[in-house]
Amino acid sequence: MIPVQSTADPLVELRDIRKCFGSHEVLKGIDLDVRPGEVVALLGSSGSGKTTLLRCVNLLDQPSSGRIAIAGQPIYDRSPDGRDNVHLKGRDIWAMRSRVGMVFQQFNLFPHMSVLANVMEGPRTVLGEDDRTNRERAMDLLAKVGMADFADRMPTRLSGGQKQRVSIARALNMRPAMMLFDEPTSALDPELVGEVLNTMITLAREGMTMLVVTHELGFALEVATRVVFLDQGAIAAQGTPQQVLLHPENERVRTFVNRFHATAELMRPLLST
Amino acid sequence: MFDWSVITQNLDLLGWGLLVTLRYTVITCLLGLVIGLVIALAQLSPLRVTRVAGMLFVEFFRNVPLLVWLLWSYYALPIFAGIRISREAAGILALSLYGAAYYAEILRAGIQALDHGQGDAAKALGMSPLQAMYRIILPQAFRQMIPPLAGQTIIQMKNTTLLSVITIPDLLYQASYISSFTYRPMEVYTAVGIIFLIILVPSNYLARRLELRNH
Repeated sequence: MIPVQSTADPLVELRDIRKCFGSHEVLKGIDLDVRPGEVVALLGSSGSGKTTLLRCVNLLDQPSSGRIAIAGQPIYDRSPDGRDNVHLKGRDIWAMRSRVGMVFQQFNLFPHMSVLANVMEGPRTVLGEDDRTNRERAMDLLAKVGMADFADRMPTRLSGGQKQRVSIARALNMRPAMMLFDEPTSALDPELVGEVLNTMITLAREGMTMLVVTHELGFALEVATRVVFLDQGAIAAQGTPQQVLLHPENERVRTFVNRFHATAELMRPLLST
Repeated sequence: MFDWSVITQNLDLLGWGLLVTLRYTVITCLLGLVIGLVIALAQLSPLRVTRVAGMLFVEFFRNVPLLVWLLWSYYALPIFAGIRISREAAGILALSLYGAAYYAEILRAGIQALDHGQGDAAKALGMSPLQAMYRIILPQAFRQMIPPLAGQTIIQMKNTTLLSVITIPDLLYQASYISSFTYRPMEVYTAVGIIFLIILVPSNYLARRLELRNH
C-alpha cells in the first residue's frame, strides 16, 4: 500500500506550541499538521516532549502559548504575552474532545465497570445515546478488537494487551474523527505488543487519522505515512518513514535509530542458537 | 451492690433516649456527608475563591471544640443573627457542620488519591468535570473511603451525647434525668456505657472488616 499524501484541510493544526513547566521549556514552538487519513508517528527519546505535545492536541494539557485548530475550528490561541485570542466555553472543549479518541499508555479503563460498560460509557454519558444501539455498536467494536468474549469481564481480570484493545474500542465507540495514541504498547509485556499493534494497523488501513507517540520503530516504518522526530522540545526531523528512519540526516535521529539497531545486534547471537 | 431494677424500671426512658440518639446520628451523618461533599468539591475546584472558602470551613471546625461550637450555636447564634432557633435545629446544624468538616477531609483525600489517568480518560471521552466526578471518580473513590467514613460516623454517634447540654433528650440526657430521681448514677451511667459498646463495637468490627477487604 502506497500512502497517498493527503491534500485535504488538516484535521489538526498546531502552530508555535510552547509549554513550560516552571522555568523548564518542554515544547519550544512546534508546528504540526495532521491531515485526514494520515498516520503520523511521533518519535523521540523520553523527555523530548512528545507525550506533552499529544496531550495538548485535545487540551488535556494546556500549552503556555500557541494556536490549535481541530477540523478548522480554533480551540486555543494564546499569544506569547499570555493574551487569549480565542475564548472557548467548557462545553465547546468537551465537544471537541468527544470527536478525538485517545488511548493511554496505562489503558485507564474504568475498573468499576465491566468491559462492555467501559465501551458504552462515552456515548451513554456524553452523547446521551440510548443503550440499544450503543450496545450493538459496542459489541461490534469488541468483536473487531477480538474481545467480544470478554464483554462481561471486569477490567482487572484482563491482560495488558486485552485492556489496551478494550480501551481502543472504548475510544472508537465515540465515532471519533481521529485517534491519539500515547505510547499504547510501552506498558505491555513484549509478547502482548503484537496484538495491540495489529489492532492499530487494522485501524490505519481503514483510513483512520492517527497521531501516535511510540517507541515501536517497526510500526512507524511499516504503518506511518509520516514520521516526526522530536528532540528536546523541537522537531528535529520529519518526512516519510524511509527518509527519516532508514536514511537519517539528522545526527540525533541517527543516534536514536542506531540505539535500536544496537539492541538488535545484541540479540543476534541469542536468536541464531 | 448493683441494683439493676433502676434500669429495668426506667427502660422506657432509656429506650426513648436511644431512639433520639440514633435519630440525631442518622440525620447529622447524612447532612454532614452531603455538606462535606460540597466542601470537598469546593476545595478541589479550579476557582481560588471556593478553594479558600472550603479550606477556611474545614480549618474552623477542626480548631473549635465541638462543645463550644454547640453551645455557641444554641445560645449565641440567635442573638447574633437575630433569629429564633429551636434546640433541635441548633443541635442538628452544629453537629452536621462539624461532621461535614471531617467528612470533607476524607472525601477530598480519597478523590485526590485516585489515579489521575481515570480523570484523563473521562475527559478524553468528552465528559464535563461534573460527569467525570459522578460517573468515574466518586464511585471509585467512595469504595476506598468506606472505612474512614465508617470510622467518622462512629465518632459522630459518640458526639451526639454532647446534645444533652442543650437539653435535647438523648440517651445521656435521659440517664442524668433518671439518676437525678433515683440517686443511682453508678447503674445508670454504666448502662449507658454498655449500650454504646453494644452498638459501636460491632460497628467498629464491621468497619475494620471493610478495610481489610479493600486491601
